[in-house]
This record gives sequence, C-alpha cells and structure tokens, in this order.
Amino acid sequence: MNNGVEGDKNMDTEENIIEIRNLKKSYDDGKIKALNGLDLEVKKGEFLSIMGPSGSGKSTLLNMIGALDVADEGKIKVAGIDLTKTSKLNEFRSKEIGFVFQMHNLIPNLTVLENVEIPMYESDLSTDQMKERALKLLKSVNLEDKRDQIPTKLSGGERQRVAIARALVNHPSIILADEPTGALDSKTGDVILKLLRDLHEKENVTLVMVTHEPYVGKMADRIVNVLDGKIQ
Amino acid sequence: MGIAIGIMVIVALGMVTGGLKASTTSTLKAGAAEISVVQTGSGNYGSGRIDESRVTDLLNISGVKETAGTLRATNTSTSGSSTADVSGSSTGTGTTDTSSGQGSFGGFSVTGMDPDKLSLAGIEDVDGALYSNESTNEVIIGKTTSTNLDKNVGDTINLFGKDFTITGIYETGNFMTDAGAFMSLSTLQNLTNNDNQVSSIAVKIDENANATEVSEAIETAYPNELSTTTAASMASRMNTALNTIDTANWAISLLAIIIGGVGVVNTMVMSVFERTREIGVLKAVGWKEKRILGMILGESVVLTLIAAVVGTVVAVIGVVALLSVYFSGTIEPSFALDIFIRAFVVAFVVGIIGGLYPAYRAARLSPTEALRYE
Repeated sequence: MNNGVEGDKNMDTEENIIEIRNLKKSYDDGKIKALNGLDLEVKKGEFLSIMGPSGSGKSTLLNMIGALDVADEGKIKVAGIDLTKTSKLNEFRSKEIGFVFQMHNLIPNLTVLENVEIPMYESDLSTDQMKERALKLLKSVNLEDKRDQIPTKLSGGERQRVAIARALVNHPSIILADEPTGALDSKTGDVILKLLRDLHEKENVTLVMVTHEPYVGKMADRIVNVLDGKIQ
Repeated sequence: MGIAIGIMVIVALGMVTGGLKASTTSTLKAGAAEISVVQTGSGNYGSGRIDESRVTDLLNISGVKETAGTLRATNTSTSGSSTADVSGSSTGTGTTDTSSGQGSFGGFSVTGMDPDKLSLAGIEDVDGALYSNESTNEVIIGKTTSTNLDKNVGDTINLFGKDFTITGIYETGNFMTDAGAFMSLSTLQNLTNNDNQVSSIAVKIDENANATEVSEAIETAYPNELSTTTAASMASRMNTALNTIDTANWAISLLAIIIGGVGVVNTMVMSVFERTREIGVLKAVGWKEKRILGMILGESVVLTLIAAVVGTVVAVIGVVALLSVYFSGTIEPSFALDIFIRAFVVAFVVGIIGGLYPAYRAARLSPTEALRYE
C-alpha cells in the first residue's frame, strides 16, 4: 500500500510490510545507543509483539516504524515507503499508521467524536464524511453513546477504546501500539487486547505491539525480543 | 487583560477626539463669519469691549461683506433669581462660545446678536421662531441647553433675573455654541449694563476676498484697538491640538501592540507548554506543521479579538457615561466606524505577532519529545 506517499519501493517484497536493515539510533551525541544495527521484517497482516526490558530500544523501534523519529543509519521501509528518503513523514503517518499509546493521549477539551475525527483533518473528506466514519468506528468499539462526552468523563478502558477508534479511522496499514494495556487493570486490559486483536483480524491491519508483559505478548502471532538495541 | 485595556484606551480616545473634531469642523460651515474681531489685548476670547459704532465702520474695509456685533455674558443660574456674570467672552468668528461656565459647570453663555445676522454665528435653522430685535423677553436656546435644562419652545427661562420666553431651539453641531442661548443685542446690553458696546464683531467677507488679508486690513485700520482671528486659524489650532491627541492615540496603539504582543506571546507560550503532549499527538496522527501553526495563530487571534470586544464595550459604556455625567451632552462621542476598525486591526495584528513565535515553536516540536513531555 502506498496511498500516494512518495518513496523508493525497490527494496519492498510482496509480503513484508515492514523491512528494517541495520537500523541505528543514538541519543546524547552517541552516548546512548537505543538501536544498534537492528534487523526486522514484518509480514502484511501479521500481529507482532515486541518485548524486552526497559531501555532495550523497543519504543524507539516503534517510533522509527511510525516515522515519529528518524534513523541515524540503516534502512527502514514501511508500507512500501523508504522512511530514510521521503520528506512527507506527516502524510505517511496520516495515511499508513495508527498509534495507540499507553496513556491514551486523548485531547481533554474535545468530545469523544471530535477526538476520533482529528486524524481525518488532513484528508479530503467532508465534515459529514468524517463524522460518519468516526461514528462507525465508535460503534465498532461500543462507544457510540459516548460520542458527545469529554474524555475525562470516561473510564480508562473507554478512553483506550476511543484511542483505538482514532488509530483506525484513516484505515491505516499498520497499528502501532505502545504498551496499550500498561495503564489498565488486567480485566480491562484483556478487553482492550481482545478488541485490538479482533479489529486486526476484521480490518486485516498489521498490528505491532510493544509490551513487557509476557502474557500480553503471547496473544500475538509472533514475538520478537529486543535487547541492547538488537533483535535477539 | 493588557490588550483589553489597550483597546479600551484606543476606542475611548477615538470616540472623544472624533466628537471634538466633528464640532470643530462645524465652525467652518458655509455662511458663518470668517473673521472675529475683538479688543486688542483682551485675549483670544475678547474679554474687552468694542464701541458698537465699529460694527458699521468695518463695512468700509475692502473685502468686508457683512458685520455683526455680539455681546456675550454668562448666566450663572436658570431659575429663580439669577446673577449676571458678564464675561463678554467671544471666540473666533463669534460663532463659538468658550465660556467655561456652561451646562453642568454652573452656567451657560448668552449671546446678544441681531437675529438677522445669526447665520454669521452658524445658526441656519431654528426649530420654532427667532426672537425679534425689539423684543425684550424672547430668547432662542441651543439643543444642548434645551436637553440639559429640559426646556422647549414656549417655556419660560430665567436669565439674569428676568423671565424670557423660548421662541426657538437651534442646533449648529458646535458643542459650545449649542450649549448657549441667543437674544437681542440691545436686550443683553441693557441687562448687563453694556450700552453701545459689544464684545466681538463677526465679519463675513466677500467671496473673492482673502480672510488673512482682510484681517490684516482691519488691524492696520484700527491699530492698538482691534485684533482679529480667522475661523480657519482657530479651527486649525483646534485641529492641531486634536491631531496631537490623535497622534497620542496611534502611539498608544503601537504600545498596545508591543505590550499586548508580549502578553500574548507569554500566554500562548504557556499554552503551548501545557499542551506539548497534545501537539505531539496531533503530529503523530499526521497533522502538518502549517496546520498546527494555523491552529495556534488562530487561538492567539481569537484571544486578542475577545479582548478587543471586551475593551470596546467597556470604552463605549465608559465614554458615554463620563461624557453624559461630566459634560452633560455638550460633547457627543463619535461612533465613527474607523475607530472600531482601528481597534480590531490592532487586536488582530497583536494576535498574529504575539502568536507567531509560540505557533512556530509548536509546529517545530519533535513528536517523540512532545509525546514524552510530562
């Protein structure tokens, strides 16, 4: 899937939606090596868990895949786009990536419906089309009746469901979930995980999830462990 | 708050100076006398006396078309027994009254003048009738006087201890003239013991004559006796003063932009700081830098426009209330559109200038750093 974002598609293979070669990223003038020559391939439609201890580089890897940060060295190609070459990272994020954060990161003074509509502001959709699509997603996460409430009135689980609806609203190729159940109790966390997995299967969207909890990781099709900035 | 105060000052000064300007302009209206003649050494406002014979003498000066003698006195009370306080003040063409005792200040100016010559005082139309030259108990009053004293045509008014019937109400547009009253010259001369004397002479010149040249000719013909002031120079002096206020208004506008701009920068930088994580989310979901820039700038402009609305409302209420309480309607506030346009343009500019840096800062935020921000 390209969706019009320019990039080099030569290194793409038919089945891999993410291809990473020798990816390096360091901070503090090279003192902290977050990623140290990491290689990774993820197939289209796959549910991948990235596990590892704190500081291993798993969140940095997720940020690289989501084009929130840029690599120092190496190749990273996502959804056919070479992220080391394209300058349209905003457009890439808008069309190809849906983020689910540990702390839902909803905008507190906007309603549930408006929060879900936010990613569509960069699209060509009309106001009515945006509303229709957002309501459809809210219905799929069973929050249609909460559309006019502000996030502070919702429970933690409900907020994370709104965040999932927001992540899916632009029909992205990949959902990137960073500890999506980290701030929830286990029962609510299970509900969220089930919802994520169901939507991943229903929408045939690739799901990459960072977690440090083994039982959460086991829900994925595949688990990769990151240690010292490399896949073990 | 700072912007609201700045806008309030801009609007308030604009409304007051606008009102004064409109009044000044009316002193130059067609038909009014172009030259005012007073006794030399009596000052601009003619506290001295001129022999009434000079009214006809001046007709012999080349370029003089028409003359009218005026006597001015201040009536300090309008009811019961009145005391006559003859100030004999006169300004410019004799059409303006600068007596300090007007309206709510404790008295108002009464001018004695031939009713056929009232056009030289800028009085063209009278609601009702003029007083007659022979009458000893008729008077016309200005619209402001009428409002202040709640007197209408047919009512009686006590002036200098004598009852007068109001035969008409005039309106010239000049706030000073409209706050006075006119009666027959001879009547006022008798009442104030100024027989055969006037305090000023209003001079209307020929169409092709030059007011300055005629003024010089009068002063040359009567050295050390008569001094002249042209209406144009009087209006020019008033306009110079008003333009100074206008310049101050612009300076205040500039200060409002600078001080308000700093305030907006501070407010918006704080807002961006507090919403760093939110901005990180917007970048994560694909918002372009220019959209974030526009959002912060928009918020900044909305903030300053709200301040402008508050400042304008306070200024309008304040100016109307102050002028009606302290000036009893003698100065009408101006509601000219350009005053309000200027205020809102200033607010808009402050919003843009003040919002630029915070907006740029927000737009350039790194999404990962913004999302990590606690």
